[in-house]
Amino acid sequence: MGDYFYALNSTSNSKKIMKKQLFMAFFLVLSSAAFTQIVYEFENSAQEKRFYLLISEIRCPKCTSGSIASSDAPISRDLKNKVYELILDGSTDKEIKQYVSERFGAFSDYRPSLSGSNYILWFGPFIFLALILAIFFIRRRV
Amino acid sequence: MNQSLRILIILLPIFILVFFTKILLVDEDLKLSSFEAKNFPAFELDDLNGRSVQSESLNGIKLLNVWASWCITCLVEHPFLTKLSKNNVEIIGLNYKDSKSKANSWLEKHGNPYLFSIYDPRGDLAFDLGVTGAPETYLLIDSKVVGHIQGEMNQQKWETIFMPLIQQATQKK
Repeated sequence: MGDYFYALNSTSNSKKIMKKQLFMAFFLVLSSAAFTQIVYEFENSAQEKRFYLLISEIRCPKCTSGSIASSDAPISRDLKNKVYELILDGSTDKEIKQYVSERFGAFSDYRPSLSGSNYILWFGPFIFLALILAIFFIRRRV
Repeated sequence: MNQSLRILIILLPIFILVFFTKILLVDEDLKLSSFEAKNFPAFELDDLNGRSVQSESLNGIKLLNVWASWCITCLVEHPFLTKLSKNNVEIIGLNYKDSKSKANSWLEKHGNPYLFSIYDPRGDLAFDLGVTGAPETYLLIDSKVVGHIQGEMNQQKWETIFMPLIQQATQKK
């Protein structure tokens, strides 16, 4: 008798689970993620690697901080599509970054170029460290 | 040694505090941007009435306002743009990722402060201009892009960002 009830319960349980799964599958199909996922197809894996490196090094112009790879803002989607197009057209990484910074400013490059006021950015910390070490040693000698 | 260390311990936090407060108190929106003047990108687009837009129409001192019927902030700044256009400021619209019929009925409903609106459904010209969304406003002087405001245009931004640039340009002439 007990077994019978157990069996009855378990079938109704599995039915419940199946219902739940169906319910969830229904929403999965309807979810925006299923629709907005853009699949980028490349001619070779080198292009693909370059694409993912580039989109991680271009700043999302609409975000406080973050690359276009990490953002789903409309402008980031446009930028990713443009980077994709340019890679397929045979542009070099440098050309692509220049293309983007001409339009969205030098700010868009997450890896600041070694030029102009960026020298302070690149070497400032080392100069600061050297200065502190120098002061430290001079003090010790005195 | 100890004396100077003590002074340093007191002075350093004060220095850091002042430094960061100063940075944080700057209103990013009103900061004179380090915007570099550039030529207006080449384009081949029609206006909302289907007439092709000539590049000569960008000469003189003009505002280019990026707008769309789906854009909520565009509605917020709309009365200010209307006020500017009544004060003889020439504004060109750049209708961004919108449909023609929706855009035209938006203008009918809320009024049209624009000389004309360039119809850019895919956002190609906008991309070349560096538009990140709507609304955004550019200051054009003789087909050169000299100023840029992101987000809502208002009296304060008009006075602090665009007015000095316009004065500079008219003085040169």
